[in-house]
Amino acid sequence: MTMLQHALLVLLLPLASAAVIALCLRRSGGIASILSTLTAAAIAGLALLLALNNERFSESFEWLRLGNFALSIGFKFDDLAALMLVIVGIVGLCVHVFSLGYMHEDAAKARYFGGLSIFMFSMLGIVFADNLFMMFIFWELVGFSSYLLINHWHENAAPAAASKKAFIANRVGDFGFLLGIVMCYWANGTVNFSELATKADTHALVISTAIPLLLFCGAVGKSAQLPLQVWLPDAMEGPTPVSALIHAATMVAAGIYMLCRINVLMVPDALTVIMWTGTATALYAALCAIVQSDIKKVLAYSTLSQLGYMVAAFGLGSLTVSHAHGTDTHTLVLAAGVGAAMFHLTTHAFFKALMFLGSGSVIHGCHHEQNIFRMGGLAKKMPFTFVTFTLGVAAIIGFPFLAGFFSKDAILYLAFANNKAVFAVLALTAVLTSLYMVRLWKITFLGAPRSDAASHAHEGGLTLTAPLLVLALLTVIGGYTGIYPDVFSGVFDLIPEAHGADHTVILLTSLAVMVLGAGASLALYGSTATDSLQQKSPGLFGALTGLQLSFDRGYEYYVAKVQQRFALFLNFLEQIFLAGLIVRGLAGIVGLVGLGARALHVGRLNVYVYWFLLGIVILWIYATFNF
Amino acid sequence: MSTLPFDPLLAAIFAPLAVALAIACGLPKRFSVKLAYVGFGLPLLLALHVWFYYGTAAQTHGYAFLTSYSTGLDSLGIGLKLGLNGISLPLFVLAGIVGFAAGIYAIQSGAERLKIYLMLLLVMQGGLMGVFASVDIFFFYFFHELALIPTFIMVGIWGGRDRNYAAMKLTIYLTLGAMLSLIGLIALYVKSGAHSFDLIELRRVIAAQPLEVTVQHNIFGLLALGFGILVSLWPLHTWAPLGYGAAPSSAAMLHAGVLKKFGLYGLIQIALPLLPAGLIQWSHPLAWLAVVGNVLVIGFVTIAQRDLKQMVGYSSVMHMGYAFLGIAAGSTLGVGGVVLLMVAHGLSVALMFLLTTSVYHRTHTFALDEMGGLAQKAPVLSALFVAATFAGIGLPGFANFWGELTIFVALWKFSPLITILAVAGVVISAVYGLRAAARVFFGPASPEFTKIAAEHPVSDLRWSERLPALILLAALMFIGFWPKSLSTALDATLSPAPAGQVGAAK
Repeated sequence: MTMLQHALLVLLLPLASAAVIALCLRRSGGIASILSTLTAAAIAGLALLLALNNERFSESFEWLRLGNFALSIGFKFDDLAALMLVIVGIVGLCVHVFSLGYMHEDAAKARYFGGLSIFMFSMLGIVFADNLFMMFIFWELVGFSSYLLINHWHENAAPAAASKKAFIANRVGDFGFLLGIVMCYWANGTVNFSELATKADTHALVISTAIPLLLFCGAVGKSAQLPLQVWLPDAMEGPTPVSALIHAATMVAAGIYMLCRINVLMVPDALTVIMWTGTATALYAALCAIVQSDIKKVLAYSTLSQLGYMVAAFGLGSLTVSHAHGTDTHTLVLAAGVGAAMFHLTTHAFFKALMFLGSGSVIHGCHHEQNIFRMGGLAKKMPFTFVTFTLGVAAIIGFPFLAGFFSKDAILYLAFANNKAVFAVLALTAVLTSLYMVRLWKITFLGAPRSDAASHAHEGGLTLTAPLLVLALLTVIGGYTGIYPDVFSGVFDLIPEAHGADHTVILLTSLAVMVLGAGASLALYGSTATDSLQQKSPGLFGALTGLQLSFDRGYEYYVAKVQQRFALFLNFLEQIFLAGLIVRGLAGIVGLVGLGARALHVGRLNVYVYWFLLGIVILWIYATFNF
Repeated sequence: MSTLPFDPLLAAIFAPLAVALAIACGLPKRFSVKLAYVGFGLPLLLALHVWFYYGTAAQTHGYAFLTSYSTGLDSLGIGLKLGLNGISLPLFVLAGIVGFAAGIYAIQSGAERLKIYLMLLLVMQGGLMGVFASVDIFFFYFFHELALIPTFIMVGIWGGRDRNYAAMKLTIYLTLGAMLSLIGLIALYVKSGAHSFDLIELRRVIAAQPLEVTVQHNIFGLLALGFGILVSLWPLHTWAPLGYGAAPSSAAMLHAGVLKKFGLYGLIQIALPLLPAGLIQWSHPLAWLAVVGNVLVIGFVTIAQRDLKQMVGYSSVMHMGYAFLGIAAGSTLGVGGVVLLMVAHGLSVALMFLLTTSVYHRTHTFALDEMGGLAQKAPVLSALFVAATFAGIGLPGFANFWGELTIFVALWKFSPLITILAVAGVVISAVYGLRAAARVFFGPASPEFTKIAAEHPVSDLRWSERLPALILLAALMFIGFWPKSLSTALDATLSPAPAGQVGAAK
């Protein structure tokens, strides 16, 4: 088989799996789960095969043609796609295996695993997409699979509302995304990534700030940036493995992946907007995370914050680097934003999936208790989960030599080099990250159990622990770019690296913020059943809670007081004026004018039939005589 | 070329009419029902047959399967000329599929006076097949009327609440629309000097000697108004939600799904190629009415609905706005998009009406506030309903997506501002679609529904409901995954036309 056929197989396997489950395995959850997991294993295997093979290719097939407009389904398999494919493959497999244990007792297992397969299909479509229209198609489909999986426990009101909110918030973002695609199509005559890059090389690209910003709207929705971030915390109503796969590691990162794909379209003004959106999201979400009491909500806000980091990294843009070779010094412009964002995306996918699955293990062990203040002492009860989760926490707060340390430093360095204000905010965010993650870790795992569920907690089976082990391993080694084979060099060569004095500054800042946050957290929070911050400084706690709720309150006000009232008002006009006055008036006129209509007016519909038949007869007679 | 020994188009028209006649002549009920399967099944099989063979069939004047029959009206330039081009093929197939789904649903529905009900539906089905197979404008119109009359009667007799008012309003509006468009068509006949209703002949004559610009303006205006009423162009749409709210499900499926497309089809097949200057004159007013009225105002009105069937009716009005926008854009892409959307909307709205009725049979109400939690009791129904909802809001993988996408792309060229307003509609349709799905199926059951469910045990979808629903869904997904199955023929018909003139014969 050629590499292209392999890629096609990777894309179509999960679709086939979903179709078989939907059509034949609705009542056989066990078989469905095995089929879906085997598919995920095949995807992971083929993904590694494709990525490690040095062959890179692009190929497309025409899918629709009307006039000059042609839409293609194609594969653009470069290093960027290869990296993303490996992430999706590995995390996808881990989550499928974890789900085997986590969802074992679920009544609708078939629907769940079918949903996971649809998700894999849609996500892989985004990875392979060689043009914006195709990306949009799969973009919508991941939104659909996300809807399906958030709404898994649909008999409860909260998941039903959360799934709807997620889809609609994404649709708002996609409104801009679609307009951006259409505008790009008419401006440049193509939306194919390779063709756009070729045009950029020859300076034939239309310079526009509107196009990249409209396209960025898509990323704002999918990657949950301000002001559309509200759906992601609510999406935690879905099963925990889904949160790990879709709402932490892969789908929400698709926004960053998309931005990297359209890097050639970027202009400085657009990048500034993107940079500040990401920076604001990073800070905002970190502030919100401090006051959460639900283990998954802490992780959700942490995801938001880290996504903000990636978006900010992308927005920081390129870096001019000098290389000294003896007496020669040559400078080149490095697309460092892409490198830093994708690097952090990679390490984040591993350590955040690890922590989400770890939280799943905790929730499973504590019989679906999610409140961290009703946990405690889990380190002794669930040592394996504790050790792996600790690695995840250490990675995200930037503990030296773990994955997050390297990728976060790359972003901090880029910010330091390009924009000091962003650097300051991101460093502050790093302090907060360290604070809330250590808080979570300490309250959940240390101290004494604070509820029956926590005191009877137990480690899950092999299906729950094995994925944790794999992800923990990747969390430890994932930051060493040296371990990645050359095949990803197209991305990793772009990672900015600090040298000399800058290197020292970044290293010291990074260590300082970590120690500061973690130290404050260890000192502030005790192993108690209430939030220490809430007790010691209720004002600050209240302010942070208010900040967290402010967006939701705003949107709720809009939906209930503006949109709904406007809709009811228009409906009132519709019913009164159109249906009531104007139209009945018109009906009256028609009734007066036409005898036929008058006959109809008294409700004798069959009269119409007679008129119709009579007309035909007259016509026929007329034609016959005329002839 | 088709290998059948007879004309598949003529057979598809007359099979249902013949069965209707047989039933009218007093066939016993059990035979009537069996024969009705044939009456609905044959058009479907023949439609699939011509779809499959269209690409290889010999083309004359841009039409495949072209045949003429003398009618004794030749002196007036009227002849029964049947044929399919890339615009009519998708709609012919649509009529076959929706007709079959509505037919088998009706057969199993256990309606009162089932024989007459089926007879009227069969007449409607014959008319629908005829509308899209006719190359002659007279018969195009004739078959439309043939299909329209049973609609009025079915609403009046088998309709739900307010059926008399609905039937009257429907009749007045649709008759008025049909009359206006008839005047337009006759004016075309007279002014062109072709002395023929044959579309091929009309095109030839007008291509040689285009109509005066003012004449084009006037006739296009008449046709746009007349056809606009038939397709529920805002503010002439009020018959639609009311009529569909009252109509029995099979009639609503056939009318909203297929017959309503007559107006758009007429604009595309007749007005655009023959009256290019008319389009230029009217495209902006048409587009503004469609985007502000149909898409935005009706979009919000749909959000405000508390009655499920009304909501489906209004959402259908909203989607017709996109169709008018594609026509206003006028390019091959825009018009092709309209045809794709017509087919997609026809399938999805028929599916929606069917499932709405299925919901009603279980909840005994259309009030959204009195439902909830139905998914626990009827998972298949809920899965199909959610699929239909997502089809309606334009999710890729369903046919509707292609229609909306191509219209949006074409529309940008026409007017970026209108495009921005139109694309806002995709958010609106997500809001009302998902809200309705959540209220009917998800969350805990409302107290009202709990009471009703206790009195009337709720079962999942029966096979007689499931089969037509699955047929419609399969068609939506087939086109969704393989848009070329329609777009190749469409492109061939629309593309070779010179600039500003679409749909001309090759």
